[in-house]
Amino acid sequence: MLSSVFAKALRDRRRAFLYWSLGLVAFIAMEVAVYPTVRDNPTFKTLGESYPKAIKDLFSFGGQFDIVSGAGFLGIEAFSIVVPMMLIYCTVAVGANAIAGEEERGTLDLLLSLPLSRSRCLLEKLAALVVETLALGLVLWTVLVIAVPLAKMHVKVVELLAATLLALALALVFGMIALAVGAASGRRGLAIGVPAALAVATYVLNSLASLVGWLGHLQWFSPFYYYTRSDPLRTGLDISDLLVLLAIAAVFAAAAPFLFRRRDLTTP
Amino acid sequence: MTAVIKAEGLIKFYGTSRGVSGLDFAVEPGEVFGFLGPNGAGKTTTIRLMLDLIRPTAGRIEIFGLDLRRASVAIRARIGYLPGDLHLYERLTPREHLRYFAALRGLDGLGEGEKLAERFELELDRPIRTLSKGNRQKVGLVQAFLHRPDLLLLDEPTAGLDPLVQQTFNELLREVAAEGKTVFLSSHILSEVQRLADRVAIIHEGSLELVESVETLRARAFVRVEATFSEPPPAQAFAGLPGVRELERRGPVVLLALEGPADPLVKALARYEVLALDSHEADLEDFFLTFYRAGTSDAE
Repeated sequence: MLSSVFAKALRDRRRAFLYWSLGLVAFIAMEVAVYPTVRDNPTFKTLGESYPKAIKDLFSFGGQFDIVSGAGFLGIEAFSIVVPMMLIYCTVAVGANAIAGEEERGTLDLLLSLPLSRSRCLLEKLAALVVETLALGLVLWTVLVIAVPLAKMHVKVVELLAATLLALALALVFGMIALAVGAASGRRGLAIGVPAALAVATYVLNSLASLVGWLGHLQWFSPFYYYTRSDPLRTGLDISDLLVLLAIAAVFAAAAPFLFRRRDLTTP
Repeated sequence: MTAVIKAEGLIKFYGTSRGVSGLDFAVEPGEVFGFLGPNGAGKTTTIRLMLDLIRPTAGRIEIFGLDLRRASVAIRARIGYLPGDLHLYERLTPREHLRYFAALRGLDGLGEGEKLAERFELELDRPIRTLSKGNRQKVGLVQAFLHRPDLLLLDEPTAGLDPLVQQTFNELLREVAAEGKTVFLSSHILSEVQRLADRVAIIHEGSLELVESVETLRARAFVRVEATFSEPPPAQAFAGLPGVRELERRGPVVLLALEGPADPLVKALARYEVLALDSHEADLEDFFLTFYRAGTSDAE
């Protein structure tokens, strides 16, 4: 259990992981339980018509604004905001804690007095972050696979997997930013604040881009663009979007050890 | 034989604030090297430089004859470190903490940890967050010694230890010294360093003031005498007495340094009305007071 930095990083998250999993399960269960009511209520059929485009874009997850079909409901209610934000919250917390958190608590000094290179230490913690994110994705996918057929939402298992994978890749982008900022600065607040602000800003940028002409090209800079561009719950995975997100995450992951190696460690 | 630690022109600035401003020293194999200085003198900076936790602004360090920057992992495998400001994993028990560190050092179980814990009467199975400062310090000490390192970097090791545990620590230190291990021991307590070290370096405001054997330092030792008079004695009252130097004066209170026999001072004091008299062996502060009396007078 405590045989490596990687193993300890995972072990330290046992309880938090359990709570996050329960949170995801409870959220999906609740949404799925509500779905039949929405589907059978005629006013929801025309709901989209009464909303301005800005609102619809804010809550869209690819495709048409349609809250009555299973895929539409799941996209708007779960995958547009809540699921990615829950996952991002989790990866940012872990990423910021990896180096900056341990540095601020003062334990990093002792850890790096051992025969352990800084890159090795960081990469083991990075690996633990990826594993935890994947495990959380597995929980999310599993509960979807069980719950979605129960509510007769007619979304295929692979389509659920596609949406889950995109959400995980999106969360890893911001998790790796948190890790890199923490590795560069040693400041946990900054390591949380920067990716959190970026997540909100790029989310809004992506939502407004279709309305505001000159924002159109800036949309390319938003990870949310690649997250919402395709319509995974209806058409399955667009592999290029997934690869773009993973590539952005990889850039920050690669920068982190480089930034961490060169600087002085701070003491609390 | 090459030196275990060799520091050359070591300078460290944090932005514009001074860490150390030009250190040159060598620590020989098998010696206990006392690194003495007041708080803020640069002791911790020096030790953290030797672990590659911070990087020098200028200068270089060799440990075990290897360049620190190039071989820091290999060097750290042979070092045991006790930080001055110890932070442990609060949620672990000492046993888990020691097992973790032993594993990262490639050792099975607790290494020497079990034996050392027994010696220090450290309870291994209570969460560290529930431990007293003294018990945490024991965990810090045990982890520093658990792989039988060739070099120990100990930053204020006895802080928070009760006298009995200090004694155990002193014995342990003598044992590892007898085994030929090298110890770099920082402290702000003169008597502690005198008791444990073979050689002493005194660091003050980022630079080394002297590096001497403990015997030589002891020969310079003096007694500090603080006399309170009913009214301030004349300015030159104690000038020219053999072995006596006036260090400081605050109204009717006069602080004197005494080397050698006490008789001339006692007779000189007796000429005035003495309300209180206190004397003890000089500590580091007194040492600095006399050390800088001749040179800069503004030394704190």
